[in-house]
Amino acid sequence: MRKSFIVAFVLLGMGGFATVAISAEDLAAAVKERRHLMKEVVAPAAKLGGQMVKGVKPFDAAAAAKATNEINGVPDKYVKLFPKGTAHGEIADSEAKAKIWEDFSDFEATAMKLKDASAQAAAAAAQGEGAFTAAFNNMTKVCKDCHQTFREKIEEK
Amino acid sequence: MRRALLALLALIIAGALAFYLLTMPTVPASALPAHTPDLANGKYMFTVGGCAECHAVPLKKCDDLKTKEKDVLAGGRCLKTPFGVFHVPNISPDKETGIGNWTTVDFVNAMKHGIGPGGEHLYPAFPYSSYQRMTYEDLIDLKAYLDTLPAVKNEVPPHELSFPFNIRRGLGLWQILYVDGKSFTPDAKANAELNRGAYLVMGPGHCAECHSSRNILGGIVQGTAFAGAKNPEGKGTVPNITPSDDGIGDWSEGDIAYLLETGNTPDFDVIGENMGPVQENMAKLTPEDRKAIAAYIKSLPPRPDAVPKSEQKKKEEKTSGSGSDQPGGSEKEPEGSDY
Repeated sequence: MRKSFIVAFVLLGMGGFATVAISAEDLAAAVKERRHLMKEVVAPAAKLGGQMVKGVKPFDAAAAAKATNEINGVPDKYVKLFPKGTAHGEIADSEAKAKIWEDFSDFEATAMKLKDASAQAAAAAAQGEGAFTAAFNNMTKVCKDCHQTFREKIEEK
Repeated sequence: MRRALLALLALIIAGALAFYLLTMPTVPASALPAHTPDLANGKYMFTVGGCAECHAVPLKKCDDLKTKEKDVLAGGRCLKTPFGVFHVPNISPDKETGIGNWTTVDFVNAMKHGIGPGGEHLYPAFPYSSYQRMTYEDLIDLKAYLDTLPAVKNEVPPHELSFPFNIRRGLGLWQILYVDGKSFTPDAKANAELNRGAYLVMGPGHCAECHSSRNILGGIVQGTAFAGAKNPEGKGTVPNITPSDDGIGDWSEGDIAYLLETGNTPDFDVIGENMGPVQENMAKLTPEDRKAIAAYIKSLPPRPDAVPKSEQKKKEEKTSGSGSDQPGGSEKEPEGSDY
């Protein structure tokens, strides 16, 4: 009885440990998902919006709103993908500066600005090209502010 | 005896020649045109030239990219380069620690010849090899604008450079190679827009200083100008901006102008952090000037990368089919591992 109690206690302890420590695979998955959201959700949507803003594609209010709404769905998910141990240099493919974890709430607040800014751009789409352009460029400022503060970027072409 | 005398004579001549060569001719006051300073244009040149990005007081640490007020040019930034650490001087109009005693001619000589008022040779971390292309009028305007900014007393420590770079005289030789003080001459075959763009890029904008590779003397290699370089301040590379496959050949003029206005690449990536403050200055220019810069950049000779891309980027290129899945994210090396 006493022996099985000890075994149960030990097992419980190990189980507890397992839930606290995040596995290396989970960390890698978080990084992969971060990159997926940025490279395959945000960037293509922003590119489409940008082409309209630049006049490469004709302005289409519905498409502009759809693109910026897609971006709007990202920040809530995105800020949850930063477990400790996923800074640049700690794990492959991470562009996250260690600074993020020095004041996580500051990072979170900066990243979450994208939610408001994208909502405003989506709303502005209905008001025409001029309004959308202003709101869209304002939104990309939010992108830049966060990237230049928290992203360890290697210049790409 | 006679031979010894001849040898001595040769030595004297060589010495005089070296002395002449090392003390470059500078601009006399009489060379300056009569020109009433235009403060608005001076401020515009201040923005194009990015003066504040080096000379404004860094926000916290001496190598912070962010600065305090852009019009307080009390210096103090440190530039950590392979030659050693440069401490950026105070160029506020303070008479003791700034450049409050400089005349317009002094200023023009610094900008066009890299020579300070006492004849001292200035280090080309101050990009006079580009600023020398500015017109006298723009320099007179810029000096007049700098004179209106707040004077701040701030003694900046001397540079900490390794031998032989700590010998200022030696810069005379460098200046013979890379400095002639000649203002930009418009290309008669090019239109006004291209010439304006070329002037902004080659002169005040000093784009080539970061986007071009340098030789062992620290001079820009003309054959690979604008074809990218190692980051002069350490990590990473500065991109090739020539219209080639390695560079930005697939960008339109509009794409370049839009990047300068907003900081967004055509694929909606964000520019690197060193370019950030530069782009914010470019955003303050007139749309016509941004378009002119873009037109000139598009007209550069297409060149392959002057420095090899990092392994990271090579791998990324292999796998990037415009936003395709990255197969096995963990296969790649951590970014920047090769720096």
